[in-house]
Amino acid sequence: MSAGSVPSGYEVNDPGYPTPQENYLTNSKGILSWAFTLDHKRIGMMYLIGVTSAFLLGGLLALGIRLHLFAPDGILFNNALFQWLAPDKAPNDIYNQVFTLHGAIMVFLFIIPSVPAALGNFLVPVMLGAKDVAFPRLNLSSFYLWVGGALFFVMALLASGLDTGWTFYTPYSTTTDSSVILATTGAFVLGFSSIFTGLNFIVTINTMRPPGMTWFRMPLFLWATYSTSIIQVLATPVLGITLLLLIAERTLHIGIFDPEYNGDPVTFQHFFWFYSHPAVYIMILPAFGIISELISVHSHKRIFGYRFIAYSSIAIALLSFIVWGHHMFTSGMSPITTIIFSALTFTVSVPSAIKVFNWVATMFKGSISLTTPMVYAIAFIFLFTIGGLTGLHLGTLATDMHLHDTYFVVAHFHYVMVGGTVVAFLGGVFHWWPKMVGKMYSEAGGLLSAALVFIGFNLTFLPQFILGSRGMPRRYATYDPEFAPLHQMSTYGALILGVGLFVALFVLLMSLVNGKKAPANPWGGATLEWNCTSPPPFYNFERPPVVGDPYEFGDIRWDTELDRYVKVEPQRERVPSETPAETPAHASE
Amino acid sequence: MATTDAGLASDAHEQPGHGHSDHGHGDHDHPSYLAHHFDTPEQQFDSGKLGMWLFLVTEVLFFSGMFCAYAIFRAWRPEVFEGCSQFLNTKLGAINTGVLLFSSFTMAWGVRCAQKEQHKLLTVMLATTLSCATVFLGVKAIEYSHKWHLGLLPAGLFSYDPSNPHPVGGPNYLAYICAPFVAITIGVAIWLVVSFLRGAKFQLECAKPLLVVCLCFFVGVGLGTILESGGEEGHHEDDHAVVASTDGTAAEHGKEHAHADGDQHVDHEEPAAAAVASLPAAGAMSNDSADLAVLERLASDATNTGLQDELAARKAQSERSGGGILYDVSDDASATVASAPENVLRPSRAGVFFSIYYCMTGIHAIHILAGIGVLVWLLVRSIRMDFNRNYFGPVDYVGLYWHIVDMIWIYLFPLMYLIR
Amino acid sequence: MMSLLGDYTSSKLSVFPKSASSFSGESDWVFHFISIVCVIFFIPIAVALFGFAWKYRKAKGQPADSQVDHNTTLELVWSIGPSFLLVVMFYFGARGFLDMRSIPEGAYNVGVDAYKWGWGMNYGNGVIHPELHVVAGEPTKLTMTSKDVIHSLYIPSFRVKKDIVPGRYNYIWFKAMEPSEKVMTDEECKQLADKDKEDNLSWDYDARQCTPDGYNFYDLYCAEYCGTNHSEMQTVVVVHETQEELDAWIKKYSSRGDEPPAAYGAKLYERRGCKSCHSIDGSRLVGPSYKGSYGTMRNIVGGDQVKVDENYIRESILNPKAKVAIEQGVAYQPVMPSYKGQLSEDDIYSLIEFIKSLGDPSATEPEAPADAEPVSVE
Repeated sequence: MSAGSVPSGYEVNDPGYPTPQENYLTNSKGILSWAFTLDHKRIGMMYLIGVTSAFLLGGLLALGIRLHLFAPDGILFNNALFQWLAPDKAPNDIYNQVFTLHGAIMVFLFIIPSVPAALGNFLVPVMLGAKDVAFPRLNLSSFYLWVGGALFFVMALLASGLDTGWTFYTPYSTTTDSSVILATTGAFVLGFSSIFTGLNFIVTINTMRPPGMTWFRMPLFLWATYSTSIIQVLATPVLGITLLLLIAERTLHIGIFDPEYNGDPVTFQHFFWFYSHPAVYIMILPAFGIISELISVHSHKRIFGYRFIAYSSIAIALLSFIVWGHHMFTSGMSPITTIIFSALTFTVSVPSAIKVFNWVATMFKGSISLTTPMVYAIAFIFLFTIGGLTGLHLGTLATDMHLHDTYFVVAHFHYVMVGGTVVAFLGGVFHWWPKMVGKMYSEAGGLLSAALVFIGFNLTFLPQFILGSRGMPRRYATYDPEFAPLHQMSTYGALILGVGLFVALFVLLMSLVNGKKAPANPWGGATLEWNCTSPPPFYNFERPPVVGDPYEFGDIRWDTELDRYVKVEPQRERVPSETPAETPAHASE
Repeated sequence: MATTDAGLASDAHEQPGHGHSDHGHGDHDHPSYLAHHFDTPEQQFDSGKLGMWLFLVTEVLFFSGMFCAYAIFRAWRPEVFEGCSQFLNTKLGAINTGVLLFSSFTMAWGVRCAQKEQHKLLTVMLATTLSCATVFLGVKAIEYSHKWHLGLLPAGLFSYDPSNPHPVGGPNYLAYICAPFVAITIGVAIWLVVSFLRGAKFQLECAKPLLVVCLCFFVGVGLGTILESGGEEGHHEDDHAVVASTDGTAAEHGKEHAHADGDQHVDHEEPAAAAVASLPAAGAMSNDSADLAVLERLASDATNTGLQDELAARKAQSERSGGGILYDVSDDASATVASAPENVLRPSRAGVFFSIYYCMTGIHAIHILAGIGVLVWLLVRSIRMDFNRNYFGPVDYVGLYWHIVDMIWIYLFPLMYLIR
Repeated sequence: MMSLLGDYTSSKLSVFPKSASSFSGESDWVFHFISIVCVIFFIPIAVALFGFAWKYRKAKGQPADSQVDHNTTLELVWSIGPSFLLVVMFYFGARGFLDMRSIPEGAYNVGVDAYKWGWGMNYGNGVIHPELHVVAGEPTKLTMTSKDVIHSLYIPSFRVKKDIVPGRYNYIWFKAMEPSEKVMTDEECKQLADKDKEDNLSWDYDARQCTPDGYNFYDLYCAEYCGTNHSEMQTVVVVHETQEELDAWIKKYSSRGDEPPAAYGAKLYERRGCKSCHSIDGSRLVGPSYKGSYGTMRNIVGGDQVKVDENYIRESILNPKAKVAIEQGVAYQPVMPSYKGQLSEDDIYSLIEFIKSLGDPSATEPEAPADAEPVSVE
């Protein structure tokens, strides 16, 4: 024992490795055992594969955008290859479809389900100490709805593409001849997938907590997931009806959004952003949860300001519903409405700032291991802070008049969505990968990927801030020559970023081939998921876990002989006769 | 260790062979209705109930989008809403409201039956609820087909022509709507006969109430037809009259015509139109005998609310459009769609009301259909006597859903039918 | 402080385009104020982040030096403290915004008609030109409409932007402060224009950095995505020193004068947005090419054929959706807005003469049979 021997009266609790019969990955075999599984862990893994595929597709489209914009008149979609592939399409049209599909795929198919559905499905019940989510069949159906939605998007792509921008603004979306109906149907179906996931998590967290797991003993990832689920349940139905009305507008011309029939396009924007602004927080809140876990575990120190972080998640969830108007400052809303939305927008920045301060304070005087997840977490804080601070320029009305719909906005939300969510997602995957598959990955490879992603990302998007403030509008297939040097920098950055992401994927896949077996607790975490074997058994826990403080690292010790972290527990709690903790939850709140 | 698939069914599958039993209260040793991942029936029931409530929240928000659209457009064009609302038959709406309220009552009673293990009564209650649902749909079928026939359609398809409100020909919409129900009814009837002949007792028990439920759809259609009948019969005679009369305009349509012209030439046509509206029979005296017969019929038929309402609606509309909705704005703060002058006199304005009407009532009807689906499932399970005092969750959850669907109708009815 | 920033923003190193309106000073000042506040917050966060990560790095199993899990005072301070700065930002932002929204009385009014994909600036008396010309030091109000989809008028140098929503009037106003310079004499311009005519090119604003009238200019972009050629929906703003100069410019474009109709039609073709959809070299754009079209028979949606004559062209300008052309079996999208009330009879006559001048019926290819799509008649 390196870090002090076990005190008398205490014993080491180390679950060891699972047998193949226990391991959820191997306890039943065959493709059907996966296709019809109701196990939250398998559903989470299927989601992980799904969203990663979507991310690859969206990422390729992004590379296409960046390559095309290397020269002012475009160099990709107007070259011979594309003219041969799509002879009847103008290069500008191809560009418009590519950026639209990039946005739509990344938002609807990747970012929204990435953390909540993939990592959340795997982690929520395990972290909670439950056997499964409350509604396993609903969970599986939500996965298949995701698949169905994805198929609709693929059909849209193959039919006649989509060129409306991911926002589907009317009247463009009601008049264009691209496959708007297929794509909106896809988004509608994905909305239901998202609602079911959120509903499931709310119920699971409310009613399935084991004894001892009080609200304030929940890991912060669960708080973040809970807040996210609230938004999913409350905002997504509005998107559903908006998309239905859009479909009706296109087919029946109902005249609600289309000015041709006396409708009002700005109403559509209100409806759309009433969902889509909260959706931004569906994307970022779970990332906050991941970072809270990562920073605390890899600093081996209690999270600083647990309650502030937990409450700020809820505050963000609630505030997110009243700030949608800041996407529409230039649309011609009345001045008073505009000013109110601006003021409300500023309030959202406070809880976000609280989290950043608390994370940095957690690292203070910690015992920091610069592992891959930790490096990703540090990258997240750096990038998210830039993304958050530049949001102030956009929330301020006078400057937003200049910056709205320019590359400044593009850079801002990529700093939040990619520098924030995607980096946190990667950090989370690297953090929980040993738990999910039971294999350790190459640490050097992981660190290399983090470095490439960090450098590539900044090189891609920092120049875009300047492009934006110099007046380059977004969604331009061609641009004035004066913007060329910055665009070229951005394209180089995108290539580095792409390489970094492929390195990350490669490192993770290689671990399946030649990774060494992962111990139950590779990082020294104190939350419940580290109490079960890696990968967890089918029922997660042999016996209901003893719920302690999720951030109490005092009884986690590094065992040099076993070469892994073990948990040191008081012996008396292991006496079989005394089992108050095994009284099942009555959860009748 | 149970296999993945066996371990997860939540309703009716026994879970043998858990290596580790972690349930507490000895009195519920994971009964068949308790899913493996729950510890107690209470936990399962609470989870289901919370889940259902959350689902209902999403339902309410789903509809709230449309209520918002309704509020926005009504605020912009109150006159269009008031005018168009008169095309809706209040009596049919009121009947549907009553039917749904009664179904809510039977549903609530059903939940109580499930709790008290009164299996027979539960089946009766569920069947009654279902019958009410199909009556509702039957009445709705009449309302929809009538409006489609008149061309009262969403903005882009709106083809209502005040000078020719009852176009001859056109598809028989009612038949199209009824066709699937006829098919289902025949199917259920055949099932009933077959199960009777084969002596399949359980199937027979299921088929009997379902046949009643199916037939109730036609009760609804019949009820709707009777209440709209004055109008419907009138239309037929009108069609005849149109063919017979040389000027191509039946008496009833003559007065409507005045209103139609009122749209364009309000100044000199409007008084005449008003007179015709107040004295329908007198205004028709000058026409030929075929028209007279029609008008006498119409005047004597007090139940003909649909036509009377249409007349009033047309009058209201022409007044409004003649009065001019055009207003210009100097400040963009108040700029709305209504301020675009070139759009003001388009006929599709009225279509927006029907757009919202069809969206809201249509999606509500889809919810009714979904409710019918789950109620049938409950009905079968109740005949199977699946529910007991510890396990009545599904009945309770579906009850909640059914109440929210009724609630939405209770808001829709005054907002759509009663705004004149 | 403000003047210092003012100097900076007009330099080459600036993150902004040239500051050229009465709003841009304040807008830039607010931008820099926020940026400085952000940097003041960001540097300590970044230093702490990387500093802690380096300083408190420890071997596996070493316990942390501290397990302090909260400090309510500190947390309240850093939660509430920055909020005051947010109030300041909000205040300056809202003040600047209200200036942009309160249109002064008596502002010089220009109508803006945005369409896919071009601009028509309406100076009254039938003078419509794609360039926006305004007077320095005088408030200008733009009354903006769109007939098809949402566009957004954005002049980076003026720091103003406003969406143009079909079915609504949207307004924007600004006071341009920096007049455009005349960088090219009329003779030079004429030479270049003649050369363009020979090469069958249109005026290249970006390469020449001046307008066909010889002024340098400010960019004007469409900032709301509007379809295929969204990125080419650009025009320029020219700021005249005096109202007289502007009036003279308007007069120059007010009518045909003694110009031959076909030549004037060619100008209208450039100026009024025809060229964004109709080519004059025979290539297929959004609409049919003018080249060699006059006098031919054309298939139209609905299965009929129609001769491209004066009447057909006139109808197609005033009511474009009445007879939609089919070429090579593919119908054109009926997307052209009506020009009723936008072009005078003389303008239409000039355009017809222009199309006639391109006409060479022998050059047209045989046409494929018509599609059976329904006609969209208004």
